[in-house]
Parts: sequence; C-alpha cells; structure tokens
Amino acid sequence: MTDQISTPAGTENVTSETPAIQLIGLTKKFGDTTVVNNLTLDIRRGEFFSLLGPSGCGKTTTLRMIAGFSDATQGRILLGGQDVTSVQPHKRNVNTVFQSYALFDHLDIEGNVGFGLKRKGLDKAEVARRVNDMLELVDLQGRKNAKPRELSGGQKQRVALARALVNRPEVLLLDEPLAALDLKLRHRMQVELKEIQREVGITFVFVTHDQDEALTLSDRIAIMNNGVVEQCGTPEDVYERPKTVFAAGFIGTSNLMTGTYSAGAVTVAPGIRIELPGHPELLDGSTASIAIRPEKIWIADFEPDMVRVHGQVAATVYHGATTQYLVNISPEIQLTVVEQNLVRSRHDDRWSDGDSVEIGWKPEHVVVIG
Amino acid sequence: MSLQVEDALVDATTEKRRSPTRTRLWGVLLAPPAIWMIVFFISSIAIVVMLSFGHVNDVGKAVFGFSLDNYKALADPVYLKVLLRSAMFAIATTVISLVLGYPVAYTIALHGGKYKNALVAFLVIPFFASYLIRMYAWSTLLADEGLVNQLLRDTGLTEGIRFLNTPGAVVAGLVYGSIVFMVLPIYASLERMDTALIEAGKDLYHSPLQTFFAVTVPATRAGMLGGVLLVFLPALGDFVSAQLLGGPSTYMIGNLIQQQFFEGHDQPLGSALTVVLMLALLVFMVFYLRATQRVNRET
Amino acid sequence: MATDAMTQARRGRSVEGKPKFAVAFTALFMFILYVPIVVVVLFSFNSKKSLSVFGGFSTRWYQQFFHDEALLSSLRASLLIAFVAMLASIVLGTMLALALERVSSRPARITGTVALIPLVTPEIVTGVAALLFFAGLGMKLSLVTVILAEITFSISYVAVIVRGRLSSMSDEVEEAARDLGCTPFQALRLVTIPTILPALIAAGLLIFALVFDDFVLAFFTTGVDPQPLSVRIYSEIRMTISPAINAVGTCMLLVSVLLISLSLIVPRLLGRKDSSLDLISGG
Ligand SMILES: Nc1ncnc2c1ncn2[C@@H]1O[C@H](COP(=O)(O)OP(=O)(O)OP(=O)(O)O)[C@@H](O)[C@H]1O
Ligand SMILES: [Mg+2]
Repeated sequence: MTDQISTPAGTENVTSETPAIQLIGLTKKFGDTTVVNNLTLDIRRGEFFSLLGPSGCGKTTTLRMIAGFSDATQGRILLGGQDVTSVQPHKRNVNTVFQSYALFDHLDIEGNVGFGLKRKGLDKAEVARRVNDMLELVDLQGRKNAKPRELSGGQKQRVALARALVNRPEVLLLDEPLAALDLKLRHRMQVELKEIQREVGITFVFVTHDQDEALTLSDRIAIMNNGVVEQCGTPEDVYERPKTVFAAGFIGTSNLMTGTYSAGAVTVAPGIRIELPGHPELLDGSTASIAIRPEKIWIADFEPDMVRVHGQVAATVYHGATTQYLVNISPEIQLTVVEQNLVRSRHDDRWSDGDSVEIGWKPEHVVVIG
Repeated sequence: MSLQVEDALVDATTEKRRSPTRTRLWGVLLAPPAIWMIVFFISSIAIVVMLSFGHVNDVGKAVFGFSLDNYKALADPVYLKVLLRSAMFAIATTVISLVLGYPVAYTIALHGGKYKNALVAFLVIPFFASYLIRMYAWSTLLADEGLVNQLLRDTGLTEGIRFLNTPGAVVAGLVYGSIVFMVLPIYASLERMDTALIEAGKDLYHSPLQTFFAVTVPATRAGMLGGVLLVFLPALGDFVSAQLLGGPSTYMIGNLIQQQFFEGHDQPLGSALTVVLMLALLVFMVFYLRATQRVNRET
Repeated sequence: MATDAMTQARRGRSVEGKPKFAVAFTALFMFILYVPIVVVVLFSFNSKKSLSVFGGFSTRWYQQFFHDEALLSSLRASLLIAFVAMLASIVLGTMLALALERVSSRPARITGTVALIPLVTPEIVTGVAALLFFAGLGMKLSLVTVILAEITFSISYVAVIVRGRLSSMSDEVEEAARDLGCTPFQALRLVTIPTILPALIAAGLLIFALVFDDFVLAFFTTGVDPQPLSVRIYSEIRMTISPAINAVGTCMLLVSVLLISLSLIVPRLLGRKDSSLDLISGG
C-alpha cells in the first residue's frame, strides 16, 4: 500500500530539488507494538529539520532507521533520491551524533575525529588538515591529544559533532545531542550548532523533546506523537497555526476551546460567541476547535479591532519576565493569559484573584484546529 | 540486539528485502568456540555417561555396554557411606563458609572506607596461590609434629592434638580452599545495598543485631546464594583436601573417582560415580535456581 | 552540620559505630588466610630439613630446586601450558562473548548456557571426561592433552569476564564505528576490541595464573614426562616431606602474585577502570 503514496524520484534525475531524505510509509514494529507508523516525510537539502515529540514517540527509532542501525518493518528510505532501505550503515552517506556521544575511549580527540576519514582511505596529510579545520570549527584545537575521558560534557559533545561533521555527510543525524548538558551550556551549544550548520550547509536532522530548542534552531519541525507525524512545518507554522489538538498542546501552552460554528462565530459556552472571520470552509452548525495562545490575549489597553470577553481572575502567577493570569470566562472555561512585565514590578498587582476583568484578542489570532 | 534477529524474521515474512543490520559476523564468531565446546566438553561428558553403563572386559579394558551393574554396585553401603559423607562435608563447608565469610564481607563493605579495594585485593591474593600448595601447607602445619602442635606443646596445655585424618581437618581445608567465593558475592551485594536501609532499620528495631538480621541479611540474599553455589559445587567434587588432610576414613566421592581411574582401573565404575556426582549437582542446581528466582522476584 | 556527616558516612559507606567484634574477626580471618602461605615461604628458607623448627636462613632448597632437572622441566611445561591456554582461551572466549552478546536466537542462547557449564562443573568431572575423551580418541596423554583440557575450561571463564565488560559498553559505540564507515568486522577490530582490551589483558593474566596453578585437570590429563609442576609436586608430597617443595611452592606463589598484581595494575596504567578486581568481585 505504501507504494501508492508516492513514486520516489528515480536516481537518474536527481536534481537540487531532490529531497535529502524521503521517508515513504516507514513503519517499525517491535513485536506487536508499532513504534513508528506509516511515516511519510520529505526533508530538504541543507535544512535544519527537527523531530519533536514526547518521550517514547519513536524519534530515536526513526533516526536509527535512517542511519541503518535498525531495520524498517515496512516502507522505504531514500537518501538523495536513492533507495537505501537495505543498505548497510557504513555505506550510507549519513553520520550520527549520538545521545551518549559514543566516543572511542581508546583514541585521542584527533583519532576520534579522524576516524571516518581514515576509513575512507584519505591520505594522512589530508586527514590531519581536515581534522584540524574541524577542531578549529568546534573550538577544540588545543585538546587534540586529550583522551575523551579527560573532557567535559560540552567538549565531548563537540568532539562527537566534529567526528560526524568532518566526513561532510549529506545528512547529519543528531539524537538529543544537548540533552546531557546543563541549561547554560545547552543554550550556548544551541547557538554554536546553528552557526555551524549555516557554515557547512549540511542537512541536519535533529531529534529533541525540548520545544524551545526545536523552535529556535529549526527551519522546519515535525511534531511526532505515538509514531505518527502530527504536523510538519516551519516553527511559525506549528506554533501559530497548529493543525491538531496535540500539536497545539505540545508546543507552548494553548487555550483550546470547542463549540458550534454559526454565522462567523463559535459558541464555546452559553452566551459566549467567539468571532472567527474568514473561515468559509466551516459550515454552520459544525463543531469547531479553536486555540488562542496565552500571549495573544490582552488584559488591558485594548486596540480597537479586538474581540473582548468578560471574565474573572482565578489566579495570578508571577514569572519574572511575565505574569500569568488564569481567567474564567464561564464556569467551564478558563483561559490562560500571559502578560509581559514591561513596566510593573512584583508588588503593584493590577488585579487580584476574584476581580472582574475584560480580556481581548485580535480575531486573526484565533486558530482553527483540524 | 535480539530484536534485530526478530526484525529480520519480520522482514523476511512481510517483505522480501535484505536487512541492513544483518551480518554473518556473529555466526562466524560463534562457530569456533561453540564447536570447540561441543567437541571437547559436551561429547566428553557424553562419553562419561555412556561408559558408566559399560564394564571392564577380560583383558582389563574398559568397554561400552548397556548394563546397570555399576550403579547397582554403588548401592553398596561402603559407597553409600562415602556419598553421604561427601554431602555432609560439602554442606558443612558451605554453612561454615557462610558464617565465617559474612562478617568479613560485611566489615570490608561497610567499614572498609578508603581501604576497601586494598582489602579485597588482600583477600583475593592468597586464593591465587595454588590450591594444592595451600592444602599442602595446612598438612604440614597440622601434622602431629607440625608447627601448630609444636606451639601447643610449648604452651604446656596439651600433649598435642591429632588434627590430620579427621573430618574436621578435611572440612577446614575445604573452607580454606574456597571461602573467598563466599565473601566476594556477599561483598558485592552489600556494596550495592543502600546503607540508608540500615539507618532506617535502626529506627525500627532495637538493637544493631536485630537490625542486621531484619534488614541487612535479607537485602544480601542474592549474594549469599551466589556464594553458596560457588562454595558448594567445588566442595562436593573435591578430592585434594581429603587426600592431603584426611585419609581413607574421610574419603569423599572425588577420592573414589580418582581411585577408580588411577588405582582401581575400573573406569566404568569411576564413570558411574562421576555421573552420580553430576546428578547430585543437578538436583542441587534445580533447587538453587528455584531459590534464586524466588529471591529475584522478591527484590 | 549533621547532613555533612551523613553524606560523608554515605560516601565511605561507613555506618557509624564500627562493630569491634566484626573488625577483630576480619583481622583474625586475614591472619589465618596468610598463615599457611607465610609458613611455606618461611620454611623454604629453612636451613634445616624440618617443617616445624626453623634452623636459620638458607637458600639450599632453592638450589636443590634449580638443579633438579625434572622439576625444572615441569616448571617449563607449566609455563608453556598456561601460556598456550591463555592465548587460545582469550581468542575463543572473546569470540564466544561477542557472539552471545549480540545474537539471541535459540541456538545461540543454548550455546551460551552450555558454554557456562564448565564453570559450575567440579573439576574432577571435567578431568574424568577429558581423560576418557582422549582415551577414546586413542590420544596419548601428554602436554597437548593438558593444554586442550585447560583451554576448554578457560573459554567459559574468559567468556563470562568479557561478557561482563561488553555489557557495560554502550551499543552506540559500535554503532558509531559503523556510522563512520566500518564494516561489522572493522567495527569489531578497530573499536570494540581496543575498547575492551584492558579487560582482555586482565582476563588473560588471571587465566594464566589459574592454569599455571591448576592441579586437578592437569592430574587427569597429563602424560608421564614432562608433567606439569602441580602434578609433580603432588606426587612428591605423597612420597616424602621435603622443604624443597616449599621452595617450589614459593616460586609458584611468586608467579601468581605477580600476575594478579599485574592484572590489577595494567588496566589502571592504560587509564581504564576495568581491572581484574572488578572482574572478580563484580561477577
Ligand atoms: N529495541 C526495542 N525493543 C522494544 N521496544 C523498543 C525498542 N526500542 C525502542 N522501543 C520502544 O519504542 C518506543 C519508541 O522509542 P524511541 O526510542 O524511538 O523513543 P524516543 O521518541 O526517542 O523517546 P525519548 O525522547 O525518550 O528518547 C518506546 O516505547 C520504546 O519503548
Ligand atoms: Mg530517543
């Protein structure tokens, strides 16, 4: 059945438009449990692509199939237009940065980074030159002769990255490479990673369960859940226009509401109609799910074109840069509102719990899901 | 890794394609040692079993056969006594090793501090001295004119004690021979144990001794079981200790086997004795595996 | 700073209040452990032909040993047996461990269990079995038969030690090698084996010491001349009491202690943690 979904581009007409990776109906079963389910995905050349999803959703399994460490139960994998489904890992032009780094303990940093080049049979001088360049790129030229156990976590991570990148693969697979680092180092490495990717222009497939990481780094994100891709798009797409309830809930927080659509508005609770202009595809009387991001809801200083709703403050949570209000607009519906703390400080609370308030948002910020 | 094999099977049944992870390497690696073990171990054990049904022919050569005569011969009280004695000695050895070895493992694991590794090394080194030499050393020490009796006489307390040729000497030799295999597994399980358990136990029970029996001992059952296996097995089949520290009155099954092969020249009978020894161990292993499973389930 | 004291205690795993009895008992235990060994060494330097009265320092028993061609040829035989058995069992045992770690089809699992049986089989059984096997094949008992028997026994030993080491090595390391262009065999040769090399060296030294000292298997499988050292000593012990045995025993002790110390130190020298101590006490 997978063959009907798409006919892969033949190897004879590979163009710059050919995706770096095509997954076609990729399925992985462990016994009776399906871990990756009929995954179809194109990853473009030179893009920073993230697989984002909760723990156990099948990200690592997908990556392992692309690298060739795990057999696909069904479906096909194309790299640069070529079917590699049955090709052994060492013959795939793909390199991996492992979550555990998996550095070779018995070799020094130079030996680790030069390992792949030596396998390719490059001559010594060329290997040394490229290893040097790469160590410079990851800022480790001074530690050439150190053994992996002498390095810090962040340094090991950079060695793992250098060891993979130095081979100039068509595709670099990274499995939560930053997960083991502390927050500060992680942020620094994120910046470095992005810079390096821009510099070398290699396709990155980046696995993470950290949504902020995915949003900051990626050109496109695939949100995975239970072995399927819920949504695939640019960070803006998946954040601003979530297509499924899961996507809306997984990235950031979202105010989800469901109601009946009629005459350009959704009735989410008796007497509460939320205007929804410009959705000709919705039929009167149909059920619609909508989402509004908390930071898109204002709690004062409204602009003229805003939709306004009355509510009651249920709780106020101070977060430093922002303050979060929970506002009940009906007995069943509680909306989260996040306000930037631009001027106020902790103690001049404008509203306390139980106060009646008015909240508002621009109609175009209401997203229809599904 | 097992899954890759399963994957390969799934693949083979669903779609015809080569698995990227399949390699013949592991099979190639497995074959030589597997063949070696089959040729030199399994088949040689099989020969022992087969010969145990054989007999010695007129010209004194051992031949295969299908008779139970050797086993019937073993029903003789002379042999039964030795079998029983072997079992008693092995059990005594195991119990004594446990009782003596536990405090040592406990002290090193919980009070060894930074000397722990050094103490373990110190403990292990004597056991790498030849077993034979160690047994020999005890035999000279415990001889009637040996150093121990010499010292005893010097104190004037006794005229000397007869150590050699007694069951006590043989069991002592066996304990000395393998007690390290009791100490090490217990040590390892104490090492893994959370000492907070003991702290908690102290609040619950009155005396340290009560805490010890209510908390520490149960937490180290797996280690003790491991030790029991490692001490009991070699003790049951030993013949060196009874040879050097004992005499015919303390012979164990191992001595009988050794006699049949080197003095009696009745190899089929010796084989039957060996089979009996293996059966005894098999029975022990069955009980042992049950016990470990129970312990594993409980922890 | 009660919490400080507690973490301190936890780190050293010293539960406060040392039971004096247990400490004294352990000291006595260690003492008795070394008594026979110390006595052997001490009396090997005795000038008198006595095993209970020390007459004064002398090296006469060593001189006797070093001029006894029969004992010397036994020593050479034992060294040869231990060396060959070590090499062969390291190779075969490592192959077995590697295969068993990765294959888990039913035949492989059965082989795995079978390979462990020699470890839980009393040596006398293995010895009898080997003896009958060689006799059945019509092989004349000699050093070759001893070596074959010792290899069989040692393979299981090595397999257990190496499997223990392999299981603590992340699968990802070998995958990384594959990822960087290695065939399965190259990954093994260039990454897996070098990674576990210290454990292999330690295991090899242990096996050498075990086989060098082994008596029972050698006793059942050896021919007449030359006999392994332990077998030679056994027959001498049963015939006479001679302090020359103490000298031989001391030399054997020296070899063992040297090997064990090496197996403790070598992995540390290579900067790795997996010394034989962990191999012994962890397993
Ligand atoms: N070898 C295996 N055998 C059986 N089940 C497996 C195996 N590997 C993974 N799984 C299962 O497949 C599911 C997906 O695992 P996977 O490692 O791909 O998750 P993940 O998305 O990478 O999660 P995480 O973010 O925690 O790394 C999990 O439920 C896991 O238990
Ligand atoms: Mg994962």
